[in-house]
Amino acid sequence: MQFKSQAVAKPYFIAAIALFVGQILFGLIMGFQYVVGDFLFPEIPFNVARMVHTNLLIVWLLFGFMGAAYYLIPEEAETELFSPRLALITFWVFLAAGALTVVGYLAVPYATLAEATGNNMLATMGREFLEQPLPTKIGIVVVALVFLFNISMTVLKGRKTSISLVLLLGLWGLAVFFLFSFYNPSNLVLDKYFWWWTVHLWVEGVWELILGAMLAFVLIKITGVDREVIEKWLYVIIAMTLITGIIGTGHHYFWIGTPEYWQWFGSVFSALEPIPFFMMTVFAFNMVNRRRREHPNKAATLWALGTGVMAFLGAGVWGFLHTLAPVNFYTHGSQITAAHGHMAFYGAYVMVNLTMISYAMPMLRGRSANSPSAQVLEMWSFWLMTVSIVFITLFLTAAGILQIWLQRMGETPMSFMAAQDQIMLFYWLREAAGFVFLLGLVLYIWSFFKKGEVQTAA
Amino acid sequence: MTIDTITPDEILATPPGDLAIWFFIFAELLAFGVFFVAYAFARAHNVELFDESQRQLDISSGAINTLVLITSSYFMVRAVAAIKQGLSRVCARWIAAAIALGGIFLAIKLVEFHDKFSAGISLSTNTFYMFYLSLTIFHFMHVILGMVILAAVMLKARRGGYSAQNHTDVETGASYWHMVDLLWIILFPLVYVIH
Amino acid sequence: MSETFTKAMARNIFYGGAVFFFLLFLALTFDTVRGLPKRDHRENITDSVVRGKHIWETRNCIGCHTILGEGAYFAPELGNVYKRRGGEFIKAWIKSQPTGAPGRRQMPQFNLTDQELDDIVEFLKWTSEIDTNKWPPNIEG
Repeated sequence: MQFKSQAVAKPYFIAAIALFVGQILFGLIMGFQYVVGDFLFPEIPFNVARMVHTNLLIVWLLFGFMGAAYYLIPEEAETELFSPRLALITFWVFLAAGALTVVGYLAVPYATLAEATGNNMLATMGREFLEQPLPTKIGIVVVALVFLFNISMTVLKGRKTSISLVLLLGLWGLAVFFLFSFYNPSNLVLDKYFWWWTVHLWVEGVWELILGAMLAFVLIKITGVDREVIEKWLYVIIAMTLITGIIGTGHHYFWIGTPEYWQWFGSVFSALEPIPFFMMTVFAFNMVNRRRREHPNKAATLWALGTGVMAFLGAGVWGFLHTLAPVNFYTHGSQITAAHGHMAFYGAYVMVNLTMISYAMPMLRGRSANSPSAQVLEMWSFWLMTVSIVFITLFLTAAGILQIWLQRMGETPMSFMAAQDQIMLFYWLREAAGFVFLLGLVLYIWSFFKKGEVQTAA
Repeated sequence: MTIDTITPDEILATPPGDLAIWFFIFAELLAFGVFFVAYAFARAHNVELFDESQRQLDISSGAINTLVLITSSYFMVRAVAAIKQGLSRVCARWIAAAIALGGIFLAIKLVEFHDKFSAGISLSTNTFYMFYLSLTIFHFMHVILGMVILAAVMLKARRGGYSAQNHTDVETGASYWHMVDLLWIILFPLVYVIH
Repeated sequence: MSETFTKAMARNIFYGGAVFFFLLFLALTFDTVRGLPKRDHRENITDSVVRGKHIWETRNCIGCHTILGEGAYFAPELGNVYKRRGGEFIKAWIKSQPTGAPGRRQMPQFNLTDQELDDIVEFLKWTSEIDTNKWPPNIEG
């Protein structure tokens, strides 16, 4: 840690991991409800568990991004953070807002929550991933603006590197595209069209800039490769991302009432979307192979390489699998989508956050790397979580293929629930893999408390 | 590095201009390439509709535009040749001529679009017109982008920003412009001519 | 020859490419929004449909079901449920939840009034008439 104010990143990382645990627990509840339908009903209906699962994911990733920015920006700008106090205040505001929202989901019926939080004035709730009550949504915007103000001012008064510019651009984009969550026309088609401007342009657009910047930063630190080289590749990769990803939004516009030509635009451009992910994999391996130093933090290197591979597999390969319109006609809204969603989110955004945390946390605790035994534990958690997410994805893919075969093809298609009964086996396997994932996560947390000999940071 | 010291091997090994533009060109060619394949695929399933609709296109304006772009590309070749001899002003003038021809291309294309739009044709008219409008408008926007790039290069050339030794940007701009030309040379026969 | 691949050029391509494709996206959006009325039949969006969508949202239906293929995959697709089951069935179904069958997936009881039930059916009816390019593949959704 080179600057005192980088320390504000620490609570952000801790909160991120804590919420990550919550996300996984609710994921396991949902997974169990898939096989034993009335589990925890009516206390926690499936829709509530799902809301908590997905919203916790989004919130902890945001905590991770913000923590990453607070750690990375001072070091890149070579100056103390504009206001560490402001960063701590927004931390508590955001954490409280997030916690209250989850409590609200669990404690009262959703309709009551909607009524109590002004949804009748401005209806924004009840849409996938954007279920948050109005005050929470406004809170997110306020926190995001204060955060952006803080890091933008820091960059303005310090050194302006490509990495911090790309990160800033991604984070500003994140805030801007979130504004579409306030637009909810009564026409479902329009609603869906612009809903994707938040959801798609986040995960297949501006978030990838954040991902690229974070990965580039860690790679510079652990490999010692020349900044010019890494930043050059960063630009090329994110250029490819936006060139393919923006029009790639079209792969969501096949069947929601939008014109037929989106089937062509969406298919063509999203077929190219794996390219930037592939480049990212090659980039990560290339930089590590060309390393000019042996960084003691082997775990962080493993996470960085893993991000490249898993993002390519999850977002690139599993995305491509069902992105062409003639294929998507059958796979749309099936377990295939769920399979892709799990591996893509884990491979790209979960892993890049864990990469950053793996690199930065030891620094924040005054050492250049954790003890070898702690690192071994962390690497075990890497493999357990990564392998189990691969299996979750494979089981869900199998479930999806069977579901499509039974319910959407052939002369006498089965009803939805009849088909679900036929694929129970895969849901059981998925749940089992989920427990392995939890085990990996427990080891991950344990690795933070594992003692051993450490080198103090230079 | 001056011209004299470059061996033939090196000329073959590295493409002219900045390598970064070649990533971009590669991506663009890929996007167009996939679109062209999709066009062929859709056409094979709908030969009559495509033939019928293609007959309504104005081949002569397309042919004139082909000549305009090829000529414009040639002007860029002259511009690069000029700067290699250190002739900044001559180079800027050739680029200006290339841009002007780009403008003529756009004007002719606009007349063509105007005809189609006033006939009530849109992206949703039929599959052929979806492709025709998508491909030509997509290409149209590339011509505009190319002109913006060339304009930036021209202004710098006019200020004497390049020399016989240092003119990567000119080659970069020229490479992009040639790609725009190349795409039209494929697009024109594919969409206008081949029945 | 390292100067033939410069960061400045990579950056320019990033900015240029992003702006270029975003403009293209805006142009396509403009065309889409202009052409939508023919496909979404918005003239049929009555007050009842609007209220129905509000009920759909405030009961978080999307937390279990999909609508036009988007949502959760725990319960059946509802974009075409009006065509699959008809309005009366939908109302009777919502009223009779939860089934309480042991081990089966359960849907909460929302205690909707008759007016609200009519509204949600109107919303689902309008949704089923959207031109979705023939999706889903069959009536089972």
